[in-house]
Amino acid sequence: MEVSVNVKHISKKFRLYHEKRTSVYESVLGYFSRKKHYEVIQVLDDVTFDVKKGEMFGIIGQNGSGKTTLLRILSHIYQPDSGSVDITGTIIPVLALGLGFHPELTATTNIVQSGTLLGFSRKEISDRKDDIIKFAELEKFADTKIKNFSSGMLMRLAFSTAVQVDPDVLILDEVFAVGDLNFQKKCFDAIMNFKKRGKSIIFVSHSMNPIKDFCDRAMFLNHGKVGFIGNPSEAITAYVDYLGSLNTK
Amino acid sequence: MTSIREEMWKTKGILFNFALSDLKVRYRNSVLGILWSIIEPLLLLGVLFVVFSTMFKFDIENFPIYLLLGIITWNFFKNGTSIALGSLTNRAAFVTQIYFPRSIPGLSAGITASIMLMTELVILAIFMITLNFSPSITILYLIPVFLLEFLLILGISLPLSVLNAKFKDVEFIWGVVLQAGFFLTPIFYQFDMLPETVRNVLQFSPMVQIVTMAHHVTIYGELPTVNSILYAVFSVLVIVIVGYLIFRKLQGRIVEEM
Repeated sequence: MEVSVNVKHISKKFRLYHEKRTSVYESVLGYFSRKKHYEVIQVLDDVTFDVKKGEMFGIIGQNGSGKTTLLRILSHIYQPDSGSVDITGTIIPVLALGLGFHPELTATTNIVQSGTLLGFSRKEISDRKDDIIKFAELEKFADTKIKNFSSGMLMRLAFSTAVQVDPDVLILDEVFAVGDLNFQKKCFDAIMNFKKRGKSIIFVSHSMNPIKDFCDRAMFLNHGKVGFIGNPSEAITAYVDYLGSLNTK
Repeated sequence: MTSIREEMWKTKGILFNFALSDLKVRYRNSVLGILWSIIEPLLLLGVLFVVFSTMFKFDIENFPIYLLLGIITWNFFKNGTSIALGSLTNRAAFVTQIYFPRSIPGLSAGITASIMLMTELVILAIFMITLNFSPSITILYLIPVFLLEFLLILGISLPLSVLNAKFKDVEFIWGVVLQAGFFLTPIFYQFDMLPETVRNVLQFSPMVQIVTMAHHVTIYGELPTVNSILYAVFSVLVIVIVGYLIFRKLQGRIVEEM
């Protein structure tokens, strides 16, 4: 089977500043005092995996295990310190809430702006904006500034935009935490349709049911290292066992 | 990794989109809305006009037009660089959620400023008609002068946008630079009025040369001096190259600093 995402030996360190220097003055002062003002945290350590075409790939792990950093590296927002990421085709991340929406602009304007940023021409996105609004069930709020939206509405808007833009790889980070049951079902239908057409989905969630029910494979990320890759049920078992071992210590 | 230039070409549609949203957000929630894009420069130009043409009157021919043109040329620079300054930091939510070339916000600031320049030029034209001033054909040379200034704005905008994301105090430093620049540029006086030692230093300022050239082609109906052109082109090139190098060095990891 063809591979659409190929991640090889990715490592990423972050500096955790204890007294963050954000001004020129502090930087100059700190340079001379030579006090070490940060510690280095290894967020990702030699992570290797691939996602095949038409596959839904789950990622689970504790808070701070590096899931979001990994997704940001996949979507090109962060650069890895070492290792390589190869993605065939287009990739769209729906991270947290939104696709980089601007609170002071209306839903429609935001769709156009995000759509063009994601590689659409103005015309293409204008043709699809009604479908996006309709799928998100936001017809009544199309001309409302999105600062007045609830988190559920924002998520619906982001998800609809991403799906309509139709990327080859879709990244979904905790998107179902805020949607209602009705919309969740719609999302899964859209995702299944996606898979059928040979597109890949990378799915991050803290609720294990969707991972177990929908993912073809899953990865357990343990403090930046790959804990397990393979069958979703076994990945969940590995994760639960690890959590259990923490409690008995 | 594609080169920065290739990326820019692919995403050129975004530039105008950002510029438009810059303008939309700028006048958001205001009662008069888009009318402010005319009223704001009109009022600002009016205030400076009254102050400098009544209180600090210099013996310069066609002083009102001389002054207005200087202010407009300076405003182009000021608007472009100050919008660029916050262009990345104001879009923190954006850049941490979607990938797009980091050069886009800084470059779109130049386009936003160009749109603002157009409205101010309309106001200048209105003043010219009211004051019965008819410029000679050399006024067409304003186009290459403004293009050079546009290049200068881009050369400063790119590094400024990333530097401000890294160091918060760039904002204050740039505010002071702009304030000083307004007085060190021949906007309400003539460059020849300055002592020679001062002139020898200030001639390296691209804005001094650009404003002088704008005055030459508009007010006096003559071509800019070769000296002006050489100094202007040279200083702009240096700024663009240095600016681009700073930008290239910082852009990769700038999101992690935000």
